Amino acid sequence: MTLSLEIRDLHVNVAGKEILKGVNLQVKPGEIHALMGPNGSGKSTLSYALMGHPDYEITHGDILLDGESLLPLSTDERARRGLFLAMQYPVAVPGVTLYSFLHAATSAARGYEARSPQQQGRLNAHLIPMREFRQEVNEKLALLEMNPTFLRRYLNDGFSGGEKKRAEILQMALLQPRYAVLDETDSGLDIDALRIVSGGVNTLHRELSMGLLIITHYRRILDYIQPQVVHVFYEGRIVRSGDASLVDMLEEQGYAWVKDWES
Amino acid sequence: MNEISAIQLPLEPQSVAAVSEKFAEPAWMLAARQEAWQLYQRMPWPHAKEEAWRRTNLRRFPLDSMHLMVASEPLDEFPPCWQQLLAAENCVSGTLIHFNGLPLRATLRPGDRANGVTFGDLHQALHTHGELIRRTWMQGRTTRPDFNRFTALNAALWHGGTFLHVPRGVRVERPLQSLVTYGLNGGAALHHTLIVAEEGSHVALIQDRASLESGPAMAVEVVEIYAAAGATVRYVSLQHWGAQRYTVSVQNAELAEGANLQWVGGSLGGKMSKEFWHSALNGPQARSLMQSFTFATGDQHIDQSTYQHHRAADTHSDLLFRNVLRDRARTVFYGMIRAEREAMGMEGYQANNNLLLDDAHAHAIPGLEINCNDVMCSHSATTSRLDPQQLFYLQARGLPRPAAERLIVQGFLRPVVDQIPLAHTRRRLEDELLRRFDTDASGGAA
Ligand SMILES: Nc1ncnc2c1ncn2[C@@H]1O[C@H](COP(=O)(O)OP(=O)(O)OP(=O)(O)O)[C@@H](O)[C@H]1O
Ligand SMILES: [Mg+2]
Repeated sequence: MTLSLEIRDLHVNVAGKEILKGVNLQVKPGEIHALMGPNGSGKSTLSYALMGHPDYEITHGDILLDGESLLPLSTDERARRGLFLAMQYPVAVPGVTLYSFLHAATSAARGYEARSPQQQGRLNAHLIPMREFRQEVNEKLALLEMNPTFLRRYLNDGFSGGEKKRAEILQMALLQPRYAVLDETDSGLDIDALRIVSGGVNTLHRELSMGLLIITHYRRILDYIQPQVVHVFYEGRIVRSGDASLVDMLEEQGYAWVKDWES
Repeated sequence: MNEISAIQLPLEPQSVAAVSEKFAEPAWMLAARQEAWQLYQRMPWPHAKEEAWRRTNLRRFPLDSMHLMVASEPLDEFPPCWQQLLAAENCVSGTLIHFNGLPLRATLRPGDRANGVTFGDLHQALHTHGELIRRTWMQGRTTRPDFNRFTALNAALWHGGTFLHVPRGVRVERPLQSLVTYGLNGGAALHHTLIVAEEGSHVALIQDRASLESGPAMAVEVVEIYAAAGATVRYVSLQHWGAQRYTVSVQNAELAEGANLQWVGGSLGGKMSKEFWHSALNGPQARSLMQSFTFATGDQHIDQSTYQHHRAADTHSDLLFRNVLRDRARTVFYGMIRAEREAMGMEGYQANNNLLLDDAHAHAIPGLEINCNDVMCSHSATTSRLDPQQLFYLQARGLPRPAAERLIVQGFLRPVVDQIPLAHTRRRLEDELLRRFDTDASGGAA
């Protein structure tokens, strides 16, 4: 069995229209891939489809995580297998504090269950003990230079664009996935925040030897998180893959050359 | 059960005198009861065509089998499970427990007592604060005996009561808690609560209700709040009535100049409930905030009528009622903001939000009656289902669908639950809300 996140000839319909038209991609543990492509080309569609969003209908192809198809699995099962998506547009959940959410999600990701018979039936027995978790959260907050007062705020509710992106990476740090897709995590982050968050991602990547797929429009994040492979995405498929020099070419010429090259 | 002097009273004229005699009441109270009894006999039950009763079918209420149990010591045993409804003594300024209409326990911190605060059984208070009670007795717009046949009944035969009086300028240090309970032999619950906060005083009362019944039973309760100029009253009204309790709860607050009322309700038990919430802003700059949460399950029916009544200039009222409905439950929200001619510069806001989890049904009827200029008013009512984007987001972080649903529901109700000024109560309610997902579709309280 190959350890990898593998996408095979993936076709996806959204609202009855084909958006992904045969995507092939393989990301191995420890590898960093970048995915760049024009607005509307289907990058987020790919990330939602990977995560099993119900609006994204897979009509053909397969997604394999370490050789096993993810298609029969629900979204939460995929997450618990070690797949993480830092979303381009994180969703606000008013009334749920970031802390209580992180506590619930991290406990679920680690398959946390009541440890002793006395604990069973107790309401919070399925959660990581408070003190233990609190300490871990503090470490991750420090890694991302986040203010602990965030924990008391409601999840993404009223967060600025950059704050949402940072909170996504905080979640990734706690959930410790094996493969992560970062969908435009860089957009919205200021110059310092981008450096800090990228540093955090690099640390996690090293510690967990995660496979990473970085979706972006800009070179700056790729200067911090250096990809081995860069893919150019165009009209629902990868049209070209290469090394980091592809990024320079895109920065200079935009996507017009892809069109020329395509035809 | 040992031989105790319990009397079971049918709803009859002689019962009025018997109750009054039992508690050696002053003559004025006996007279007030008798007058109310006359009203009760003359008035019909509310008609299904009356706006407040259009969506709650009174014919399903066990009106004909009502009787009173009046004992000199509590019947049955106080079920220990109700202890958990109470916060520890060191978190509160005082605790008052009623069981089958009789006070089981009454405590008040010595400091608050020394400041002249009274918190205890209303029957006893008639002997110590008779004049004060007489001056305020059932003067509220909706708590007058003739408001409807239920208030007449409570006025005539109330039995068991909570009395809270805070003298001028006194601040009660911690919240007070009152628990009103009825066991199997408790009969109809005709509790009466009277809160009088004098000028500039501060007080918080958390009142909960619970019952066990072997068949359909009634509760007809009245809550009266009088806040004098500049007083701040926080009142939390929770109910955990048993699964076969049919209730009518009439609650009314009269607010003088600059008085501030923060009112929170949480209805979790009972079979069918009709609640009236009325806040009268009688003096300039009076403020009222009414908030309520419910989580109705099974075939529970909760019908709430609210009234924000602006009767003076520069008054401010706000309201947020949130309901979560599961199974085949039903809720009704009928809310009115009314501004009289004198209420220039008033502000009144109202929001009702309903979250449906199953085939439940939420009905919302917001209304405005504005008779003056220079006002700021808004009202809104929404009914929605769980948001698929929120569910996806939470599931994408590894939470199974049921856990994701719970978080969203908890979050939906949190703005109201968070208003309760006692951490113990907030935590208990959060736990309880989570458990509401586990119980089968049987309805009623645990
Ligand atoms: N839920 C949806 N309903 C309808 N159309 C959709 C939906 N999701 C995506 N689309 C369409 O699919 C196409 C691809 O969108 P997608 O969000 O995947 O692009 P993207 O490459 O991520 O773009 P960007 O760089 O702007 O983020 C677009 O034309 C978009 O309008
Ligand atoms: Mg996108």
